[in-house]
Amino acid sequence: MVNALSCLLKRKVTEDPLIRDDDIEQIGRDIRREIDAVFGRSLAIRELDTGSDNATEIEINNLNNPYYDIERFGITFVASPRHADVLVVTGAVTHNMAGAARKTYEAMPSPKFVVAVGDDACDGGIFNSTYAVLGGAEMVFPVDLKIPGNPPTPKDILTGLLALMKHAGKTR
Amino acid sequence: MATDDSSGIMAVQGLVGPEIAASRITPGCNGEYYLHVGETEFGPLVTSLALHKCALIGLFCTEGFVSASRFSLLYVFEYKATVLILVRNTGGVATSVARLLPSASWFERECRDGFGIEFDGAFDERRLFLHETYPEGFHPLLKSVRNEPVAMRSAVDPAEEYPFRKVTGVGIYQVPVGPVHAGIIEPGHFRFSVIGEKIFNLEIRMFYKHRGIEKLAEGKRPQEVVHIAEAVSGDETVANATAYCCAVEKCTGTAVPDRAWYLRTILLELERIGSHLGDQAGMLIDIAFPLGANQFAVIREDVFRMNALLTGSRFMRGMVEIGGLSKDIRKEQLEELGTFVRQARKRYRVGLKIVLSTSSVLDRFAPTGIIRKSLLRPLNITGPAARASGGRVDVRVTHPYGIYDRCVPAPKPLHDGDVLSRFTVKASEILDSLDMIERLLASMPDGPVKTEPVVKDGYTLALVESARGQNLCWVWIRNGVVERYKIRTASFCNWQAIEHALQGEIVPDFPLINKSLNLSYAGTDL
Repeated sequence: MVNALSCLLKRKVTEDPLIRDDDIEQIGRDIRREIDAVFGRSLAIRELDTGSDNATEIEINNLNNPYYDIERFGITFVASPRHADVLVVTGAVTHNMAGAARKTYEAMPSPKFVVAVGDDACDGGIFNSTYAVLGGAEMVFPVDLKIPGNPPTPKDILTGLLALMKHAGKTR
Repeated sequence: MATDDSSGIMAVQGLVGPEIAASRITPGCNGEYYLHVGETEFGPLVTSLALHKCALIGLFCTEGFVSASRFSLLYVFEYKATVLILVRNTGGVATSVARLLPSASWFERECRDGFGIEFDGAFDERRLFLHETYPEGFHPLLKSVRNEPVAMRSAVDPAEEYPFRKVTGVGIYQVPVGPVHAGIIEPGHFRFSVIGEKIFNLEIRMFYKHRGIEKLAEGKRPQEVVHIAEAVSGDETVANATAYCCAVEKCTGTAVPDRAWYLRTILLELERIGSHLGDQAGMLIDIAFPLGANQFAVIREDVFRMNALLTGSRFMRGMVEIGGLSKDIRKEQLEELGTFVRQARKRYRVGLKIVLSTSSVLDRFAPTGIIRKSLLRPLNITGPAARASGGRVDVRVTHPYGIYDRCVPAPKPLHDGDVLSRFTVKASEILDSLDMIERLLASMPDGPVKTEPVVKDGYTLALVESARGQNLCWVWIRNGVVERYKIRTASFCNWQAIEHALQGEIVPDFPLINKSLNLSYAGTDL
């Protein structure tokens, strides 16, 4: 039989990461505090790609790698817009994605926030005023925060999310 | 591509037959050959090329290429080291070759959307990159169409919605997935027809991310198009920029310094390592084995950080330019790269051992999602996906560019064609690329990293081996600006393999098989 006490006393089996980024840890702690205060301990994000070059998706995915591991700060990426507080949008909005993008936004419960990540999502970037795109994310729904970059780094994205938390706190 | 003109022409003539005079075969700037063909000889010639086991690796349209005709269709055939481009002129209607060469089907649909070319006898006449909200008769790549916002159709009649193939029968039901998926992933639609748990048929629909890359490049000065090439697909930034620059350098006669090619090759291989590591981590996440996945995810993050150290960008953006590189990489940074490569190899081997000695991993990986070797040439499947199915295809070996003729990789194809083979092929390629970087660092020449590009009109084709396979790029510069930029990434062709790999598999294996093929949506949708 397993003794509960011996489990507690055992040395942990996970390795410590080789590198600790102090900046990331600090931003993470700040985000954690804001999420606890504003969102009641957890923040659910739904990612929506409306026409990116996939670099921004990769950086958002990287937030889950062991270096950042942002779930420990209270942020989870969820599988459905119906479970989300925040919609993170990447890429200029293409005509072929506009319909699906609107449906995704409408499927989210209120209150909801939208963050545009990357230059193309912010204002259409190099694709602005061309035949295939509508423009930035704000062409299809209201945008609360823009995180520019080609693509923004994981740290830029985290800094942006912290700014969003502060903004959300004020709108309460 | 063949470098010696006379032997190259002889190789081409061996393919096209003695009826075509050798004088009609003209060499291009980058080792490819062009042959202008009349309508009567086109049919028999294509049949003969297909019988000679030539692969149709590209087919695209361009306007005003010859004075006698409005449109020219360029059929790019590959046979071993020979690349032959048939130039077929048309006023707007052409016969389809898709029944003979299946890879032509998507190419023809692409030409139809872009230029309004009708293909007689095509087995699939549905739209490709223009979804149903685009107005009827709108063909963005026509020179008469300006690249400006268009009035889209506000409502689409249900009868005009995209007709998926209907699969009916007792117990068959449909599972529609996408375009918005559950994970942090690009958009695309998958229509599964399932019996019980088994997938009977999968039909994919792409191009949700069509951003008009090719049109965007037109009319721009050649150097302005480099960052457009970088935006084709984020994780193929260096590969697509190199393919484009290579084409421009060849047709303008710009010589690239040796040091620039050494550094470019290091960046290309770093990009391959990063991409393969991401796939391997993703495949392990998809079978719920985070212990293994994180071994690779950590090294991958280190690669991104190394990229940033060397180039200032985690995706190595803004580095490749026409004529070389935008800046040199300092000696100390290269030394740091050398140290990283040695450590990464050791850590990678540890991770690999953990993964490949775990029975639950092998149980999910083999024999899942098999791609048969017989599909490779008809669909032009390339890259690790082909090398895991017994294909000996690698642009770095068959058509070496830059210095790849001096540091030839040794592809070690596997033959099972399943997820495990693709995982293992990628593992050996990561180790090969690490070795290659070390060799390049050891023999790094000094000197400039850029020559001023020559300004000159011309056209040519360039092939580059990206992490995903063969990327094809054709550039035509006219009056000092880009007249046509055609890019076809490996994903465009490889996507069509997934429909075959899924047959008889179960729906929960789809994410795993999809990840093992690592297909770029952005690079396909353009």
